[in-house]
Amino acid sequence: MSRRYVRIKICSPVTVTEEQFTQALTASIMKYFGEVGLSRIAPKLIRFDSRRSSVIVGFAKEHVVEMQAALAFIRQVGESEALALPLKTSGTIKGLGVA
Amino acid sequence: MDFLDLHILPKVDDESSCTRTAQLLALSGYKAVGLTVPTGLLRGRLEVLRACFHDSGIEVFLRVDLTCSKREELLKLLRRFRSTFDIIGVKCTNHSLALVAARDRRVDLIFFSPATRNVWFDDSIANISNATLELNLSVLFEMTNHLTLTRLMKDIRVARRHDVNVVLSSGATSPFLVRAPIQLAAIAEILGLSKQQAIDGVSTVPCKIVERNVDRLSRSYVEEGVKTITGMN
Repeated sequence: MSRRYVRIKICSPVTVTEEQFTQALTASIMKYFGEVGLSRIAPKLIRFDSRRSSVIVGFAKEHVVEMQAALAFIRQVGESEALALPLKTSGTIKGLGVA
Repeated sequence: MDFLDLHILPKVDDESSCTRTAQLLALSGYKAVGLTVPTGLLRGRLEVLRACFHDSGIEVFLRVDLTCSKREELLKLLRRFRSTFDIIGVKCTNHSLALVAARDRRVDLIFFSPATRNVWFDDSIANISNATLELNLSVLFEMTNHLTLTRLMKDIRVARRHDVNVVLSSGATSPFLVRAPIQLAAIAEILGLSKQQAIDGVSTVPCKIVERNVDRLSRSYVEEGVKTITGMN
């Protein structure tokens, strides 16, 4: 299965943990696309940098639109309001330009 | 490609919230925004607001949302505000007002609130529409049931059937409601717009509206197709 990778910036007034973000993303996909959608999109957390609030998530190549929409629907991470902004999408992790 | 969000509703009294909104818009990749401001906002306050966005590299266009229930009232407001604001949006609260707003060439955008049950973007409005349909996607982030989604899908279906231009806006009232253009396009694509229409809805279509209005408000503009040219002997 061919993959795509997206670099996301999490904007939140508090520090977000890896578990909290994974939970929020999974809940968003489940709510709008269901369990079948979740298995098709197959999101996988590749890298989580809590210091820079930067995340890299891999997902199935055919579901870029669903992934972007699911990120848009995230309003809360953990207990606080949050925003997940996709900065760049690429076919390789190197292409995201992360050091 | 330049991205524009034509519907940002900043808290005009809260400078830090405006600055944060501007920073997030810049990070999302927007080049310009339409700021909905109260019609009686003081000039000094307006300059502070503009500066907040300019500091983040965002160009500002002023927008007014007209909300009324009668035709005469709308026409009066249009006469009053067309020359002072860059963008005019009309919130359609009933069917007859929606018809007037859609037909009037001074109106740039018409939008419908999902909370108003008795009016929606139907074929009769789409048939005569000179204005562009605006979809404020922030309603989806606050929705409590599937009816909002159904309404938006229906609006999109009608717009596609009649070839009406669609603008996608966030309608953000706080920094946390800002969404990247690619996210707005993705949501619209899921709701039924084609990929090209969705991308145009955050780039080409709003760009054209703003360019046309800046042109209209310039000193050299006389009427559609007629301009004063200076420096010619």
